[in-house]
Parts: sequence; structure tokens; C-alpha cells
Amino acid sequence: MLEVRDVVKTYDGRAVVNRVSFEVRPGEIFALLGPNGAGKTTLIRMITDILKPDSGTITLDGRPVGGGLKHEISYLPEERGLYRRVPVIDALAYYGRLRDLGGREARAQAAALLERVGLKDWMTKQVQALSKGMQQKVQLCTALIGKPRLMILDEPFTGLDPLNVQLLEEVLRERRAAGATVLLSTHQMNKVEEQCDRALMINRGHMVLYGEVRELKRRYADHALMLRAGRLPASVPGVRVVEPLNGELKLTLEPDATPREVLRSLMEQGVDIEAFSHSAMPLEDIFIKVVREGLGLDHGQSGPPTADEPALHAVAQGAGR
Amino acid sequence: MSFSWKKTFTIAQREYLTTVRRKAFVFTVIGTPVLYAVLMTLMIRPQMGDRARQMRDFHVLGVVDSSGVFAEAEPEILGTVATDFSVMSAKVSKRDSFRIEVRSLPNQLEGERALKAGEVSQLLVVPANYLETGRLRRYAMSTNIFSSQDERAVSGWVVRSLLRGRVDEKRVDRVERPARGMELLTPDRHAAGAFEAHDERREMVDFLLPFAFGMLMGLCIVIGGQYLLQGVAEEKESRILESMLCTVNARELLAGKLFGLGSAGLTIVGAWVTMGAFFGGPVLALAQVHLQSAVLGLAIVYFLLGYLFYGSIMTGIGAITNNMREAQQFAFLFTFMNFIPFYLMTSIVGRPDSGVAIGLSMFPPMAPVAMMLRLSAPSAAVPLWQIGLSIALLAGAAWLALTISARLFRIGLLMYGKTPTLPEIVRWARQS
Repeated sequence: MLEVRDVVKTYDGRAVVNRVSFEVRPGEIFALLGPNGAGKTTLIRMITDILKPDSGTITLDGRPVGGGLKHEISYLPEERGLYRRVPVIDALAYYGRLRDLGGREARAQAAALLERVGLKDWMTKQVQALSKGMQQKVQLCTALIGKPRLMILDEPFTGLDPLNVQLLEEVLRERRAAGATVLLSTHQMNKVEEQCDRALMINRGHMVLYGEVRELKRRYADHALMLRAGRLPASVPGVRVVEPLNGELKLTLEPDATPREVLRSLMEQGVDIEAFSHSAMPLEDIFIKVVREGLGLDHGQSGPPTADEPALHAVAQGAGR
Repeated sequence: MSFSWKKTFTIAQREYLTTVRRKAFVFTVIGTPVLYAVLMTLMIRPQMGDRARQMRDFHVLGVVDSSGVFAEAEPEILGTVATDFSVMSAKVSKRDSFRIEVRSLPNQLEGERALKAGEVSQLLVVPANYLETGRLRRYAMSTNIFSSQDERAVSGWVVRSLLRGRVDEKRVDRVERPARGMELLTPDRHAAGAFEAHDERREMVDFLLPFAFGMLMGLCIVIGGQYLLQGVAEEKESRILESMLCTVNARELLAGKLFGLGSAGLTIVGAWVTMGAFFGGPVLALAQVHLQSAVLGLAIVYFLLGYLFYGSIMTGIGAITNNMREAQQFAFLFTFMNFIPFYLMTSIVGRPDSGVAIGLSMFPPMAPVAMMLRLSAPSAAVPLWQIGLSIALLAGAAWLALTISARLFRIGLLMYGKTPTLPEIVRWARQS
């Protein structure tokens, strides 16, 4: 659907986005990650045709973004506002009309969206009368109206209470089910783990991680087992260290041991196992590790990833374990 | 870059409707002329009332005559004073009569006593050598700097008294106001070679018309520009524009704002002109004022180009500054430039073919107002080539301002926190 190829953007001789390439597939929720100043906003502005890349191409279904495709993409920026002295429904319908909806259709969609996010009774009130959280929901609706095929949401969860976070997640799932694609930029890694299929992480304008979220986590996972079980024997073959962690036991395995062998050994020794799982590094820890250690994909060596390559584009050598 | 007129119209429509629905807009349309009318009334009426009151309170003129010239002087001063003014007919609508007794006093000491005691309203002291020197001293307990009605009355009495018994009454009247009945004849506008009587009311309208025309032009441009400045600065400050720029491009947004807010500015001026025509119509009709359609056509051209020029500059300023206050400071200089021709109005209207008038009407920031002042001046005969050159220069400047502004708009809208330096602005302006 969205294909970004070798995109470069330079300011004052400094590459803010440097040969970034990735694709977002139809119907997926794709995460764009990176520390502050990594170049995410510049990249998003190029995808939304607000800025032009110095080189490289950005296409939506094979056609360059911008021009006639503008109404296909919506964008909820991190720093966002609304016209304050107009009725809520008018503020929202205006975005619909700019996405090529007729006046009546725009108002109908605006009304339906406001009802969906629980603001039916506030439609005719002025935007400035709404609480901050309510305004956040109206802002989200500006990205939904007109049913754009690609929605780019920058920190959409900021400022929402848990109930509204849940509501937003539901709405995103509904849109996804209806065929929309979401590009989500956030620092809330738990949300990325819960919601996103694939992710791209950039740092200092360079790609550092790209692939399926599950695969990224597996790639960075410790060679360990998490166990909820009864008393363990003093020594377990294949296990190097046993340590308690969050009410469970973390068993770090010997390099040549497999989880299957260790579990079998434990059961043979009569250990009562209630639950077990692979130990996985939270995405947040992966993020910190990658950024701190300055890891990155070097295009000069590995070349830009393509759609045919495996889902996970490994970071520079040594990253992971 | 593609350009959608549909989106541009949607933006223009929204900008226009949200602006004209604001209470502040309605207040500007109705409140400003009402306020102006009230102010004028408050200024003119009390002034006329003061004059009338001054003459009503002037009962007795004490005269100490050491020269003996006024021994046979008139014993009273009779006259009238205007007390009301009709805006509709531009004429004095009511006059009051007054009578002042002239009382002879033996010496200055007695005169000053009588003045302080309120027995006389004013005291006129005529020295012994008055005929040689012409010197007189007038004493009064209070004065009104805005009225010389009392001085005129005393002066008339002096003239009449000097001539009394020496020349006949008719000559006395003529000497008192020798040019009262003098008629001024100027070339007839409608009959070549002939002369027509110069109408005072028309003279006033001839003076006011260029002023009003230029003022409307200047206000219209500035109001539209201010709306743009305010709109862009507010939207930038409230972070609305970035999500908008995903859906529309910067040129569509800029064009929509220029059309919508320019229309709002025109609506204000249109409403004022309508009100002016309704209330001031009789004055214009009496003065037989008919604006030439060519001048009106040129006014529209100058307005459009002037608005495009100033509107583009205001939009650029709104885009590069971080808040309304900062934007207003930058905008002041340009707003001021638009009104500079008014400061030189006497020179432009009085001599529309002077070097100053021609120069200002060629200089794009001042051309709309300066040329309107020249064209509507009573003795206007602006050569066609000057009009053509002025329009061409203004159109070129407007195009340049629009091009640079569009670049500043596109880049500046996304820059927050720091006002760019001049080299940065120049760099942005040069980016395609």
C-alpha cells in the first residue's frame, strides 16, 4: 500500500531522514518508533506531502503521494488543535468537506463519529466548551472522517484516560476491520505490542529496526523461561541461573539447552508446573537498548529492505543478544 | 503541485462565514459608523452650542475710549449665531439672534471694576493714539479657544462705529464684509469652455470625496490583511494547520484564506458605503456628485491588487511569527505604509500632478491609496500611461509578495518556538 523508498531529507547539510525505506501493508497497524529528534515527524510530513523529500520516492498503491491522493491519507499530529469558536459538528464536518465529502455527507459522518466516541450530546456546543479529553476525541475524529485509507496517528493516546484509550483501541480495530491501514507513531511501547503488526524504528534519521513486532521481540528475547511452579530442585540440567521475577521464576538457560529439554527434565523430577512461557524482552527495553547502543541498519552494507525480504530486518551485527 | 478550486472554495467559505458571524465583526460593521456619527455629533454640537452660549452670555460691552473716536459709536451690537447643523443637508439649520449693549465707561480702573463685578461681559479699551497705531485692548474674564464669535462681533462694531456718519449705510455694510457676496466661477465640467458657479457644498464634497475614497481603500486593504494576519497567527499558535496541510496543500490554504477574508473585508466596506450612501446621499445629490464609472473600475482593480499585496505580506508575517503579539509588531510597519499618502494628502489632492503625487502612486505599497486620491481630486487629469505603469508595478509587487509569502507560509507554518532570523527568512523565500 504505502511504499517509502530511499527517502532522504536534509536540513542545513544534516540528513534528518537518511535513506529510509519501508512499506506499510494494506489493513495493518504499523508502528513508527524512535526517540525524540529521530526524524519521525519529518518522515510523516513527507508521507503526508507536507514536505518534499530531497531524494527517494513515497507512493500509495504505486502512485506518488499528494495531489489527487491527499484525501486518502489523514494525519493526527502530536501537536494538534481545533477551531475553538465553532460548534463541534461544524469543526469536524469541515475536515470531511476538505476530504471531498459533500456538505450533507460530511455532517452525517461527523454526527456518526461523534456518537461513536460518546460526544453525541456535545455536537452543537462550541469546541472551546469541551474538556481536554473530549477535544482529544474530536481531534481523533478529524483523522477518521472521510474514511481515509491510510491514517497516520502521532501519539493518539496522549491525554486520554484508560476508558478512552480503550475506546480508541476499539475504534482502530473497527477501522482496520473495515480495511483501513494505520501508521501509529507513539512512545507507548505497550500499545505497540498490543496493537501493531509490524514496526519501524529510526534513530538519527537512520533505520534501526524493521519487521514484525512478534519477531522483533523474539529476536531480542533472553534465552530464558518464565515459570510459575512449585519448589525447584537445587540444580536443573541446562539451567544456568534461577531468579525470582514479578512473582514468577526466570530460568536463564545454558546456550546449548532448549526450553523443551528443560521443561521435560523438570516434569521428570516431579516439579508441579502451573504455567510457563518464553522470556521476552519488552519492546520498551528493546527500544532503550537499541537507542543507547546506537545500533542501526547500515544501508551501505545491507541495502534497503524490500518487500520480498524476511519480515525481520536484523539490526547491525551483534544486536539482539 | 495540483490545485483544487473546490477545496479553495471550501476554505474561503469557512473563513468568510466564521468571520462574519463573529460578534466583533457585527460590531465593526454597525458600531464603527455609529460611533463615528456619535463622535462627530459630540464634537460639532457642543462646539456650536458653545458659540451660541458665548454670545447669549455676552450682554454688555464696556468701552473706555481715550481717543474720542467712538464718541458717536453705535449703542448696541446686533447679530445672529448658528446653533444647529444638519448632516443631511450639510447646512446650518438654525440661527439665534443676539443683542449686546455697548456701555461707555470713564476710565480703565472703573472698567476693570465693572468687568470683575460682572456689570459688563467684556471691556474694550481704546488708547488715545488708536488711529495712529490701530492698537486696542479687549479684557474678558474667560475665553473660548475654539470660538472667535465674540471677537467678530466686537470687530464689526468697531468698523461700523468708525464709519458711522461718514459714509452711507450700504457702504458700511459692504466694508464690514466686503467679499460676502463674491461668487467664484470655475470651468464647467459638463460644458467645455464655459464657467459655472463654484458651489461651497460641492467644494466640501470635492475635498472629502478623495479622502473618503482613499480611506475606504486603505481600510479595506488593512482590514482584510488584519483578518489574514490574525487567522494565520492564531491557527499556527493553536496547531491547527499541520493536520489541515495533510488534506490540502499550502497554495489551496493560502488562496482560500485570501479569498474568504478579503471578502469579509469587502463586506465591511460595502456595508459602510451603503450606510454612507443612505445617510450621505442627499449631500452628494445636492453637490451633483457622480463618480465616473472608470474611476470605480480602477478602484476595484487597485483594491484587488492592493489587497493581494498586503494580504500576502500579512500571511507571510503570520506564518513566520509565533503568536499574535509578535505578528502585530511586524505588521505595523506595513499597515503604516499604506496610510502614508494621507499624511501627504494636501499635496496629493492639491497638486495631483506633482512629483510627490506621481512618485507615491508608482510605489506599490502606497499606490492604491495615492492613486485613488489623485484620481478623485477635483483637478485630476492623470495620464493613462501613469495609471498603466502604476497598475503594472503594483501587480508585479503583488505577484512577488504572493510567491514569497506562499514559500514562507509552507515552511513557516511548521516551525514553532523560534522566530526566524532575516537570513533564514531570505533562505526560506528562495526555496522553491
